Amino acid sequence: MAAALEKRLMTEPFFSVRNVVKRFAGLVAVDNVSFDVSRGEIVSIIGPNGAGKTTLFNLLTGQLAPNSGEVRLNGALINNLPPDQRAKLGLGRTFQIAKPLIALTVIENTMMGAFLRYPGLRASEKRALAILEQVGLADRANVRASELTLSERRRLEVSRALALEPQLLLLDKVMAGLNPSEVTESIALFRRLHDTGLTILLIEHNLKVVRAFSERVIVLDHGAKIAEGDATTILSTPAVVTAYVGTRKRA
Amino acid sequence: MSAIPSTTRTWCLYAGGLLVTLLPLAVLSGDLFWVNILIYTYLFAGLAVAWNIIGGFGGQFSLGHGVFFAVGAYMTARLYLGWEISPWLGMIPGALLCATIGPLVFWPTFRLKGSFFAIATLAFNEVGLVMANYLHTVTGGPRGLQIPFKAGLGNMIFADQCIWALIMFGFMALCVAITIVLMRSRLGYYLLAVREDEEAAHAAGIDVTRVKLRDTALSAALASIGGSLFAMYIRTIDPPTLFSLADIGVKFALIALIGGIGTIIGPVLGAFLIIPAESYLRAVMGGGLPGLHLVVMGGVMLLAALFMRRGVAGALDALWRRRSRSAS
Ligand SMILES: Nc1ncnc2c1ncn2[C@@H]1O[C@H](COP(=O)(O)OP(=O)(O)OP(=O)(O)O)[C@@H](O)[C@H]1O
Ligand SMILES: [Mg+2]
Repeated sequence: MAAALEKRLMTEPFFSVRNVVKRFAGLVAVDNVSFDVSRGEIVSIIGPNGAGKTTLFNLLTGQLAPNSGEVRLNGALINNLPPDQRAKLGLGRTFQIAKPLIALTVIENTMMGAFLRYPGLRASEKRALAILEQVGLADRANVRASELTLSERRRLEVSRALALEPQLLLLDKVMAGLNPSEVTESIALFRRLHDTGLTILLIEHNLKVVRAFSERVIVLDHGAKIAEGDATTILSTPAVVTAYVGTRKRA
Repeated sequence: MSAIPSTTRTWCLYAGGLLVTLLPLAVLSGDLFWVNILIYTYLFAGLAVAWNIIGGFGGQFSLGHGVFFAVGAYMTARLYLGWEISPWLGMIPGALLCATIGPLVFWPTFRLKGSFFAIATLAFNEVGLVMANYLHTVTGGPRGLQIPFKAGLGNMIFADQCIWALIMFGFMALCVAITIVLMRSRLGYYLLAVREDEEAAHAAGIDVTRVKLRDTALSAALASIGGSLFAMYIRTIDPPTLFSLADIGVKFALIALIGGIGTIIGPVLGAFLIIPAESYLRAVMGGGLPGLHLVVMGGVMLLAALFMRRGVAGALDALWRRRSRSAS
């Protein structure tokens, strides 16, 4: 049994997405997308507005069910599991529109994630505080989430996801709207997390961020994957440039 | 420095608070009119606390809790009348039944949000009313059930009204204690997360549906016990009484709302405000214009809704904060 599992871990990719499709009444939001993520990688997903990035995330973490295709973690099929069970298996995510539990304090928000591995109140509080220190929110621990600034809300979103001790962290535009120094701080934070062995999949609009720290880039356009490779190569590919320049003009 | 208040301190605080509510009983124990009002105050405080578990902390604004109340009342009365089963035991099957039907009925309804959920549970109450009228063998139909006066501890029938006051006080204390235990556990935190944002809760590893179902079961079981006590206290129950929206089903929610929804003491405060005021008005004005007390109560609730959005508990909390801020 254990040997079989070990063998599977050796041969199967850590996280694999195969031919996932999501249709919304006539619109194909995610069109036959496949990719793998290896343990310890940082992978960016980029693409113009409405390309289907958030929808793809929702398929990966279970907010939406794909019309077809497979999502596997450590070789096990997970695309029929609800979000809470995927969280238990190690998928932590943030939402593009942050979802703070506004009536609760920062530490209580974080404890909601921490309970998954630390069911006791005190243990979970202790773990949550450690996470808040990591993301630089410890001094705001007992403030209500409704009083946070935009950048603090984003960090809270990350804390709650980190608190469930994910194997794979999925970040949906966590740096949008932050000022340059906050962006630099965020990158440093994610680098530190990555150094502890965390695998990160992020949706990012800021190409500077993408260039600064992703090892691999996946480009989506109209729901389909149009390119994949290392950041420097991808960002100079004509198709990618067109897709991006296209949005700029539209916006 | 932990934000979680210490266990001993919490318990002492609430025990002290509850003991204070016994003071009026000590003072008024000779006055039957007021003892009767106190009995209802404790009972409805307990019921509002029970409702608040899923309605306040869980954010599922149920107007269908009258059904659980009625099931408890009928079950206990029927078991006692038919098989002479002591109401102390007869409370249990009713509570268990409600812990089962509550989740079953609310399950499909949980997909609905906000007022749609409230309306659906309101319909549940109306279905209950129709069924109670129809199921003669259990409920006695429209004529209801009468429990003869046969005093005795085992029968849960007492000549001394003060004993009833203490029993209802015990029920209120039980509901408060269960809420404290729940809200100081992971499961209580989960309930808050679900109320605040289901999608975020789900993504944080919380089984949202299970949380709602489990706490509905708890809340429904407690409401059922309240119904059992009510039945044995008034000893005559019929569908229009048990399924009355103004006096039962909607009242639990209103009391919690006025007192402070989603707080532990709010529903108790609400009951101590509303029940005595309403009973007094009913007695004083009832002779003149029937229903006038309802108009006055409606006005009070409207004012509370306008000026105390977070209920009495919220208003006191705000006052306290302002004072401590100006003091420092
Ligand atoms: N629940 C939904 N129902 C119908 N259409 C949807 C739904 N969610 C997303 N869409 C549509 O699917 C497409 C992809 O949206 P998605 O939010 O995934 O894009 P995105 O790449 O994340 O965009 P952005 O960069 O603006 O965040 C859009 O056309 C959007 O309008
Ligand atoms: Mg998006």
